[in-house]
Amino acid sequence: MEKGLVALAAALAIGIPALATAWAQGKIGSSGAGTLAEKPELSGIVIIMIAIPETMVLFGFVVAILLLYT
Amino acid sequence: MIKDMCKVQILGPKGSLDETIKALHAMAVVHIETSRFGSDLDGTFFRKIPLEVGKVRERERLLKIKEELGNLRMLLIETPYSVVAETVDVDSIEGFLSTVKPVEERVKTLHSEKTAYMDELSSIERYGSVLRGFASMVSRLGGLNSFDIVGLTIDKAQTPVLKILEREIGEITSGKFEIYRKDLDEYTIAVVFAYPATFTASVRSLISGESINEIKLPDNYGDLPLMEVIKRMAGRRDALPGLIEDAEFEISVISANWQAKIEAFIDAIDDKVEEIGVLGYCSQTKYTFVIEGWAPSELLAPLIYEFKKLFGEKVVIRELEIKEEETDLIPVYVENPRLIKPFEIFLKALPTPRYGSVDPTPFVALFFPTFFGLIVGDVGYGLVILLLGLYLKKRFRRKEFFRDAAYVGTLCGASAIIFGVVFGELFGDLGEHLGIMHPLIFDRVKAVKPFMLLTLGIGVGHVILGFLIGMGNHLSRGRRKEAAGKFAYILLIISVLFTIGVAGKYLPEGLLTPGLVFMAFSMVLLILMEGLLAPLEFIKTIVNIVSYLRIMAVGMASVIMGVVANQIGGLVGSLILGIVVAGLLHTLNIALAILSPSIQSMRLHYVEFFSKFYEGGGREYKPFRKR
Repeated sequence: MEKGLVALAAALAIGIPALATAWAQGKIGSSGAGTLAEKPELSGIVIIMIAIPETMVLFGFVVAILLLYT
Repeated sequence: MIKDMCKVQILGPKGSLDETIKALHAMAVVHIETSRFGSDLDGTFFRKIPLEVGKVRERERLLKIKEELGNLRMLLIETPYSVVAETVDVDSIEGFLSTVKPVEERVKTLHSEKTAYMDELSSIERYGSVLRGFASMVSRLGGLNSFDIVGLTIDKAQTPVLKILEREIGEITSGKFEIYRKDLDEYTIAVVFAYPATFTASVRSLISGESINEIKLPDNYGDLPLMEVIKRMAGRRDALPGLIEDAEFEISVISANWQAKIEAFIDAIDDKVEEIGVLGYCSQTKYTFVIEGWAPSELLAPLIYEFKKLFGEKVVIRELEIKEEETDLIPVYVENPRLIKPFEIFLKALPTPRYGSVDPTPFVALFFPTFFGLIVGDVGYGLVILLLGLYLKKRFRRKEFFRDAAYVGTLCGASAIIFGVVFGELFGDLGEHLGIMHPLIFDRVKAVKPFMLLTLGIGVGHVILGFLIGMGNHLSRGRRKEAAGKFAYILLIISVLFTIGVAGKYLPEGLLTPGLVFMAFSMVLLILMEGLLAPLEFIKTIVNIVSYLRIMAVGMASVIMGVVANQIGGLVGSLILGIVVAGLLHTLNIALAILSPSIQSMRLHYVEFFSKFYEGGGREYKPFRKR
């Protein structure tokens, strides 16, 4: 029972931030695509912007790993 | 690295101005700056050099010729067998134009011939199938002069019109007509009505009144009998592709012979126009001219030497003192050794670094392939990426950006191979299954904690290195307070790690108090140096360090994908099919292994590393050089 709950907690720990990241990246990505259509020279900055929300899912990943392996 | 620059002033008699500009253009060292006009320098009044009418006309003439040559260049096609152009002299442009005129005429003729052939072929394709479909009916009626035929195309959505038309023609001809229909394509049907010739006028006026598309044959077939049209169309359909190919071949031969020369002349015109344009940057006194600009310090001595050789003492180059307010105007010349120069592409996405700051290229050259290798960490994938990089480097050897990117890819592939050996991975766990590879340090899938600690360690090291570079940069420019701020960040990171080490029982418990004192001291220093908001910034720094966990996360995802590919391949009954399935999945994983690690490594550099020291806002060094 406890094992199952831990697994569920780990899944939620990574799943919810993953959804949040996806939502944020979707918004930034669509704005970024619009930006690139007008200013292609900003590609580097757009890539950075898109990659920024990934930190959320990384934290989720760390928590999931800690739940599963400690 | 960012090279030291010096400010130079070139002085000489006005009679030598044109020669001086030509020499500067050929040497490609000086970044010419607008001279100060009207200012009182050394007690002398400097005026702008007015552009002579002759020079203005020359520039307009050259620009017009450039436009003509540009139009001709657009008619030519890219060919790999282009004749390499010799150095051209812009003064011989008139002679070149008279030579190239007949070539232009010929290329235009060839293009119009090719277009006409293609149009004819497409009309044959369109009408040929319709006419062939009705050939049997037409041949039956063709002999009877008393019959007339009309062909129509009707949109399938408007099929009801056909019924109305049939009824109307039936009324006109009192039912003496025949109708044949055939699908032309997905949306159109072709219809042929055959009726006694006496009703021709009425039927045709009905059709034109209904605004229906009558099948019109191309002009050159207009008056021929239908059977003859079909026969002739078949012959032309066989001949036209050959004629199109012949025209294309002749255009490609002309392109190979002339393209490079035309481009060389366009470049020569641009150079000449630039030489005329640069006069606007120069200033003059009654008898002398003055050109000011910037040059890399290491190239100043050779520049002076070359000018002495060319002009003796007539034209003088002297170094000017750079004033405080001019510091931001100094152009930035980034030059790196050949081996790491391709990594400068990562700077292209950022604003030019400020003069006097640090060029991060050498660090990127070291860390980017390392991070990429750590994430991919597979001998097989690395080998594929390395070979792909080598191929693309050769393929795009003339396109600088792609060639550099391919070089970076090659090094990343090599790094992935090295880490693949370390992690014992060959196409996922295939190497292990075959018994040829074993992890040298740890298995990435099983040893989650050690890999996590390794990536966090890399994060700490990389972020501290960023702060150290920033600190050195501030110190070298005499900004002690800012340097101390960076140092406080480093101290705080170390003190936090120290405290975590004690809390995690990696260090003796007795060190907790000294650790906390150390942390408090670092925090106070940080607030004093960077302000009250600095602790918030420090949280961002911690987030930056944790962000390096992506190396582990993306790496683990990649290796698990590889393992899954092998497992799915193994589940398929047949050996060959299994290899194909696993191969396809590995191909997908390799595509992801190129894209994702590149973006993640780039992000770690741009966001986590560069934010600690990179200062943008510089001006790019653009020497006055020929194309």
